[in-house]
Amino acid sequence: MDDQGHEHNDDSNSESSGGKDDGILYVGIDLGTSRSAISTSNGVRKVVESYVGWPVDMVARKVLKHDIVIGKEALKLRPMLDMHRPLENGLMKEGSEKDAEAVRQLMKHLVMLGGAGGKGDGKKQVRAVVGVPAEALRVNKQQLRGALTGIVDSLMIVTEPFAVAYGLDALLHSLIIDIGAGTADFCVMNGRYPTDEDQRTLNSAGDAIDQILTKSVQEKHPEANFSEHMVREWKEAHSFVGEPPERIVVKAPVRGKPTKIDITDEMRNACESLVAPVAETMIDLIARVEPEYQDRIRHNVILSGGTSLTRGLSDRLQAILKEYGGGRVKVVDDPLFVGSDGGLAIAMDAPDSDWERLSSG
Amino acid sequence: MAELTRTKQRILQEAVRENVETMSGRLPGRGRHRIGVAMRAARLFFFLTLPIAIFTTSYVVATVAGGRSGGVPESMLNRQPPLERQAAVARPAAAELVATSTPQLIDPAVFPVAVRKVVLDPGHGGTNLGTTNAGGLIEKELTLDIAHRLRELLESNAFHVVMTREGDAQLSLQKRALIANEKQGDIFVSIHVNWLVTRQIRGVETYFLGATDDPYLSALAARENQGSGYSLADLRGLIEEIYANARMGESRRLAEAVQRSLYRSLLERNPGLQDRGVKTAPFGVLTRTGMPAILAEVACLSNRQEAQLLMTASYRQFIAEALYEGINAYANGLNQRSQIGS
Repeated sequence: MDDQGHEHNDDSNSESSGGKDDGILYVGIDLGTSRSAISTSNGVRKVVESYVGWPVDMVARKVLKHDIVIGKEALKLRPMLDMHRPLENGLMKEGSEKDAEAVRQLMKHLVMLGGAGGKGDGKKQVRAVVGVPAEALRVNKQQLRGALTGIVDSLMIVTEPFAVAYGLDALLHSLIIDIGAGTADFCVMNGRYPTDEDQRTLNSAGDAIDQILTKSVQEKHPEANFSEHMVREWKEAHSFVGEPPERIVVKAPVRGKPTKIDITDEMRNACESLVAPVAETMIDLIARVEPEYQDRIRHNVILSGGTSLTRGLSDRLQAILKEYGGGRVKVVDDPLFVGSDGGLAIAMDAPDSDWERLSSG
Repeated sequence: MAELTRTKQRILQEAVRENVETMSGRLPGRGRHRIGVAMRAARLFFFLTLPIAIFTTSYVVATVAGGRSGGVPESMLNRQPPLERQAAVARPAAAELVATSTPQLIDPAVFPVAVRKVVLDPGHGGTNLGTTNAGGLIEKELTLDIAHRLRELLESNAFHVVMTREGDAQLSLQKRALIANEKQGDIFVSIHVNWLVTRQIRGVETYFLGATDDPYLSALAARENQGSGYSLADLRGLIEEIYANARMGESRRLAEAVQRSLYRSLLERNPGLQDRGVKTAPFGVLTRTGMPAILAEVACLSNRQEAQLLMTASYRQFIAEALYEGINAYANGLNQRSQIGS
């Protein structure tokens, strides 16, 4: 397997690693539909595109020189690969053995990048905390647990927004909104482990924006050729709600010739589609909190996840909160790693006795 | 800082506990539900102040009425009510009634009855998965999840609840009915999730036991009856027996109350939901139960939008609340009918 060394690395940052040096590797993993991130007690932080590909035939295998390709490399080489994006709405896809195997390979790859069993380390025991969508069913968690058997020694599965809250010490009177590609996960923290009533998952997230953007650009520019990956790149570079910061002009081939097309209005419409469901869910969750705490929670709304970087989104949500007595919506400093850092913090804090209970062996 | 550390320790313990429960196949403990404290208190008061009812598990009495019971097929009118039901008739001329009667629906005013014990039957379990979809949803998991939520609602409102299965157990249909009968449940509610060939349809439907000529319902019953161990002749005989007693009438009322509540409540969250109505079908799980019994198909897993809703805990909670409201409406209606007659 390719070591994929060119993925987004942040080896120098070890802010989440603590003082444990017991021959055990602690890892926090944010398993994302689009990207997956890992933070480890070695101080390693890496993010991998959640794509796994197998060479389509013998010729492709000969060219690639690998049996499997993962991450950004897989995206780049996708014409030669049987590509799998094995996570859907933040969960393992069901129904295809190839997708289940892709999740295993992705996790194996992540854990290896995190330093488990690497050169000079020997084979370390791995204790992992993995974040999943807030409303994942037990069966989803069991599938994930099954997929990780043999890859990690002990596993704790928590909801993604809870991992974020834990990592930020935002455990009391806060609302975490973690907007990724597949799902937007909400979690009210009341100083206790969140229950079903404290959490929500919406399927309106980054992928939904991509779909709307694709459709509307196709309608406006039927002559242009573009792929879903191009649309995703456009969104990641230019997404916004409210007034456009500038005209958004991108290049797409028209009858083979690279042509500039203006997608400002389409981008705005696609991104705006996120606002109503997110705002409605935010207000609804806050309204369910005991009245004396609602004000404090309104002033402690935390946005995380890749889609939280949509320009103007936090300001828009904050403006909506004004109608309900005012509030403050803050985007985390490091949305890419905040979930995996939170998972790592949980992993490091959990006592050995608990980890033994969570051992897969 | 010390407070934060303590909070973290407590929360971590809860996270570990939930994971251990998931590993062992149990559903995690539920949090607070949304039924208000005042409502709960009112409900508790309602039950505590109920007159001491002479409760009987039987809803049938044989009467000396010469006419035929409306709606009961003629071929079944001469059938004797089951012995245990005859014994439950607490009127002086009981022996005479048994000897000469044709079965009729009981007038609820005869006995002040109440619903206290609800048997919940999460459909499928073990290797019997029920319906599944490509997104990883499995009927046996969904029904169990909804049943646990419903149990919490019922228990918080002074109902006693018996579950046919608490976890991922495989039970025959007979065993489910046996549990309901042994525990002397007042009503039996089997929870299922539907799968329709026309995948655009999303809807709720509620069944009580009866024959059907509808090929769709026959197919659905065959699917839900999978592994029942009943022969066709067994089922026919059982259904005929049930026709002959008033349990059918109460089952219908219960089905209507639950269906009404399911549709009205869920439509709000699930636009496009169809009211597929109250129907009769020969579901095996409803045949042996000695109390009003229904089978609710609370959603269609075959519909993509509805499957997405089912992925959310909040929608499953809405389903549980809708079922609760339906059961409660039936229980209150039964009590009112008893009081009006008394």
